[in-house]
Amino acid sequence: MKRPQELARKELDMATIANLTGVFETLASMKISQVKNQVLEAQQFFAELWSMYRQIRVDSLFRFGREQEKVEIDKELFIIITSEGGFSGDIDQKLLDWMLKQYSAEKQDIVVVGHHGAIQLAQQGISYQKYFKLPSKDQDINVAPLVKYIRKYRQTTVFYQSYVSLMVQDIKKIELQKAVQEAGSKVINDEDIIDERTYIFEPSNFAVVAHLESSMIEISLSQAILESKLAQYASRFRSMSTAKERAVDERKSLHLQYNRAKRSVADERLKEMINGMKKAHVS
Amino acid sequence: MVMRQDASTGEIKDDGVKPDESAESNVIDGKAIMQVKVYSPYKVYFDNKAFSISGVNATGPFDILPRHHPFISLLESCDLVVDAVEGGESRIQISGGIMHVKADKVSVFLQV
Repeated sequence: MKRPQELARKELDMATIANLTGVFETLASMKISQVKNQVLEAQQFFAELWSMYRQIRVDSLFRFGREQEKVEIDKELFIIITSEGGFSGDIDQKLLDWMLKQYSAEKQDIVVVGHHGAIQLAQQGISYQKYFKLPSKDQDINVAPLVKYIRKYRQTTVFYQSYVSLMVQDIKKIELQKAVQEAGSKVINDEDIIDERTYIFEPSNFAVVAHLESSMIEISLSQAILESKLAQYASRFRSMSTAKERAVDERKSLHLQYNRAKRSVADERLKEMINGMKKAHVS
Repeated sequence: MVMRQDASTGEIKDDGVKPDESAESNVIDGKAIMQVKVYSPYKVYFDNKAFSISGVNATGPFDILPRHHPFISLLESCDLVVDAVEGGESRIQISGGIMHVKADKVSVFLQV
């Protein structure tokens, strides 16, 4: 049996771990609530842009903010959003496996967001066009460099982690054009029509439409990145909750062991005293 | 009828658009006012009543006053100046965006 002092020291260490994991758990929970609010705000912004876009639209085609039909690469672009590093569990691997089942080097090119995904692709010997670091901040995410890539390709599909609840995270994919149109279909449309007879346009209605399309793609992309981060925070929260529970259980067990060890030491001393007294009495 | 000045020729035109009836009530101390909202997807920079808003587009600097003709413009990188009813002038540095003016309501959607 271990000595009581040693057990007391271990119990103290475990208490520190329980406190620390508790702090991380709270931090992750705060982040989750902040990011959820941002997702809601962005949805409102998107709805107003979409409403304007629907009223102004010159035809039914969505051109990704391109001038007419200028497609440089006649392939599909896969964007995979993974975590930056550790604590991500196996969800990145699942996401990657899912994407690779649909991947063919002749038909698709890959752009990776997040260091973890880039490493896993490299380990499997699969080349990608570009790697972007997952933005560390949750606000004003600059997706312009990604949009530049998107404009070159015929079609884009984004693979990312999605947040279902605090305890459940899933993997998801969206075709960007469809996602923008689906998000727009949820918006209640204004009946007014915006055209050159009723509005002044600077510089032109085509330029305005192109700008709106670019903005909506940027919002959809930053939403996917935010949702991915939300899922990662939730995953971290879950890990920290489990770690905290284990630390608390371990601390309780150590406390029991400590009490037993203390009692055993006291019993041992008592036995020695009784034996000593017996011997003294006999002699 | 609403008269407007053409940005490219400077000519005053009657465009046959009826002004917004509710605009008549939007007056403070004899000065007409409008509702201005300047925001990005994740932040609202200004959302209140104002006397005017100024910015820069491809043509150059411009001001929007109440009862302006419906207008949509792409904005250049500039300082957006809002002459607010409460708190006076406020400047917002922007890298670009889009401005929508309609019926004394100005919405500025900043670059994502």
